[in-house]
Amino acid sequence: MALSQAAGHKGADSRLKKFFPVRKGTVIPGFGLSMGVTVTMLSLIVLIPLFSVFLTLSGSTFSDFWRVVTDKQTVATYRVSLSCAAIAAVVNAFFGILLAWILTRYQFPLRRVLDGLIELPFALPTSVAGISLTTMYSDKGWIGRWFDRIGVKISYTTTGIVIAMIFIGIPFVVRSIQPVLEKLNPQYEEAALTLGASRSRIFRKVVLPEILPAALTGFGLAFARGIGEYGSVVFIAGNIPYQTQITPLIIMNKLEQFNYFAATSIALVMVVFAFLLLFGINSLQARINKIARG
Amino acid sequence: MYVELQNINKKFGEYQAADDISFSIEKGRLIGLLGPSGSGKTTILRMIAGLETPDSGSIIINGRRVNDLPASRRGIGFVFQNYALFRYMTVFENIAFGLEVQKKDKAYIKERVGGLIRLIGLEGLEKRRPHQLSGGQRQRVAFARALAPNPHLLLLDEPFAAIDAKVRKELRVWLRKTINKVGITSIFVTHDQEEAVEVADEIIITNKGRVEQIGTPVDIYKNPATPFAAKFIGESIEVEDYGRFHGFENEKGYAKAVLRPEFVRVTKIEKEIYPHASERGTVEDIFFRGNMLELRLNVGGVRLAAYRSLEDDLFSVGEEVSVLIYRLYLYNDRQVRLAENASLKSDQTFVI
Amino acid sequence: MKQKITKGALILVGVAFLIVMLVLPLATVLIYALRQGWAAFFSAVTDVYAVKALQLTLLTTAITVIVNTVFGIFAAWTISKFRFRGKQALTTLIDIPFSISPVIAGLVFILVFGRIGWANPLLEALDLKIVFAVPGIVLATIFVTFPFVSRELIPMMQAQGSDEEEAAALMGAKGFTIFRRITFPHIKWALLYGVILCTARSLGEFGAVSVVSGHLRGKTNTLPLHVEILFNEFHLTAAFAVSSILVLIAVVILILRNIVEYRVKREER
Repeated sequence: MALSQAAGHKGADSRLKKFFPVRKGTVIPGFGLSMGVTVTMLSLIVLIPLFSVFLTLSGSTFSDFWRVVTDKQTVATYRVSLSCAAIAAVVNAFFGILLAWILTRYQFPLRRVLDGLIELPFALPTSVAGISLTTMYSDKGWIGRWFDRIGVKISYTTTGIVIAMIFIGIPFVVRSIQPVLEKLNPQYEEAALTLGASRSRIFRKVVLPEILPAALTGFGLAFARGIGEYGSVVFIAGNIPYQTQITPLIIMNKLEQFNYFAATSIALVMVVFAFLLLFGINSLQARINKIARG
Repeated sequence: MYVELQNINKKFGEYQAADDISFSIEKGRLIGLLGPSGSGKTTILRMIAGLETPDSGSIIINGRRVNDLPASRRGIGFVFQNYALFRYMTVFENIAFGLEVQKKDKAYIKERVGGLIRLIGLEGLEKRRPHQLSGGQRQRVAFARALAPNPHLLLLDEPFAAIDAKVRKELRVWLRKTINKVGITSIFVTHDQEEAVEVADEIIITNKGRVEQIGTPVDIYKNPATPFAAKFIGESIEVEDYGRFHGFENEKGYAKAVLRPEFVRVTKIEKEIYPHASERGTVEDIFFRGNMLELRLNVGGVRLAAYRSLEDDLFSVGEEVSVLIYRLYLYNDRQVRLAENASLKSDQTFVI
Repeated sequence: MKQKITKGALILVGVAFLIVMLVLPLATVLIYALRQGWAAFFSAVTDVYAVKALQLTLLTTAITVIVNTVFGIFAAWTISKFRFRGKQALTTLIDIPFSISPVIAGLVFILVFGRIGWANPLLEALDLKIVFAVPGIVLATIFVTFPFVSRELIPMMQAQGSDEEEAAALMGAKGFTIFRRITFPHIKWALLYGVILCTARSLGEFGAVSVVSGHLRGKTNTLPLHVEILFNEFHLTAAFAVSSILVLIAVVILILRNIVEYRVKREER
């Protein structure tokens, strides 16, 4: 008696079960309700709105689409976004590995404070980050003025964009690698020690391969985030067409001109690219894992 | 003396892993560090290797004090309990690692690694990665890897703990044979006394961070120096009021005694030989031990165990039998003493 | 010796990087906020538009967190306690908002509810305004932070398995009881962690909200948008003064996050 009661209410359960076959003998109740709520909310909030992208574009032809997304100015924004995000992601990968290492392996004053600070780019509103970075690196800003003296301008150039993208990407690589380093069996390094290896060789040959998958994930996330980021970047960029204009901004521009078709088309390009990027990184990671784990 | 520990102390928080440890090991010997979990044996091994530093005392290898020498420069091979093979390298690359550190040229590496792979019997598996090997194969690779750079001392931390029972026996034999062949001074740590007894030339028994006894397996077995050694080696049963047994008297200063099944002889009552030296008991349980029977007896409230060959008379549960106790080890906190059944001697004068 | 130098150098470089990239921007906010003295600071912070913006931000965040927490719990329950085909697909779909640029998130809602949106006729009939009004802001924020709670709960609940819940179900316990008495105690720290992350992101969301908001001061302006307006009008001090409120909130969130994360790790063991 308890089993049939507990096995879930009929009706909603059995109808949904036709769509999502559940293994026989599920004893935990609530599948119908929870699946229903989940799918409903997901559809209403995410899937249906996203579908509007295709709806909006469905009226037009592919060549219209192509013309819009390969427009010279638009292509320039791809170049700016991609190259700056790539550079920023590489910088973050390098420093991410370094930071993960010193935070997990060494003790030094303020270590815990700095460790806690890493998530600042997630906690701080992007517009606050944006105006702060812009102001401090502008040629009159309290940091920027030193660079201005030697003729280097940061705000309103691609350098500024890269710095902003580095800022928002910091947590990705560090936090991807830290748990791996923390859980890494110390015996691998001890074994290498007893075999006479120096610390740098141990890092290169034993530790690095172990953290590479995580580093790759972090890199991919930072890269994707850099491409899509708006608030932190848009202030410092200056948005000079063909020079410091990022793709999210040109979408904004098209929207302000009520050119919904162009805005949506470019958005589609961004979404497809993000998807391909994540897919590529995941495959690469799977390959690496296969080498070690089979 | 090749390896010498002098007054080594090591504490982890409240836990005393090594308490004034001193011992020495001769060159070329295969030594077993035996003790229960937490007795400090692995810590001692790791201190010799340089993976831990002692709080005080000296570690001397080949006449040189190595306390301040880092692990990477001690020239010691270490085999870990869970092998610690480098997951992203092939078998060949794992074994070659130490040689590359020594900057040996490619031809030399190829030859030496090839020789070691033949030694461990894994020809054809050079290009495999650790996850593609069985436990026993991984252990052998770990062994070869440790030997490759020609260390002068080999340390093994519970090398067979993670391996199936059947493979374990074969590997033990193989390890002893191979170490003898290579001729390297070796120390291995284990909590399995059967393993220690089978593989080692000499055993060091540890308990709670102290050395209980050092000696050959036979030595320790026959002449346990401390109560712990008496109880740890072989199967043993503790008895409190040992004076109740014929031929033994409660001795002042020795509150308890240890009894081994080999000291107990069980006979059918009608076949009793030494009536004055024997007890009466009941068979409570009979266990089959593969090549013999273990009898659990109740002798006047005390539970003992004894062995019977399968060829002898068979007993049944509940049967009353005659139990003869040849000897006991009496012990207190610090000492152990062998006591013989006195009635046996007097009885013997009757039987000619 | 060489080891010590390497270690020192690495620490130095790492710490310098963090100070330059993280601490200095924070310092910048404070410096510029107080540049013209405390009086200017207070007047900016208590300005009526700033206060209204703060209220809207808090309202939006509250609604968003509630909605996404409810979703997160249901989604995590579905995915971790049952076996069905398409589980991987479902998880991936839920994570979509995580990888979409905020501008696109805002755009999407314009496409649904905006002037050219396919739902517009319906809205006009009901005399409802969504985009360029508060509902649009809330919806966009919900979209952007949608997976935050579920992303924390799903791995946690999957790692804990369903043995205990099954045992309870076999004893006749009902769904909600099982959740309340068995699942919840295990996940409460992970749940709190997800809520904190969701809150942080909702408070700070800019790009998506910027697209749907219409920027009407006092009506459809959130605090991050207000900062933008002040900055673009060259009211530097005011912009940074208001920003410092957000910085304060961010720091509090960071502290809370660290405390809760520590608790989550303890639970995982």
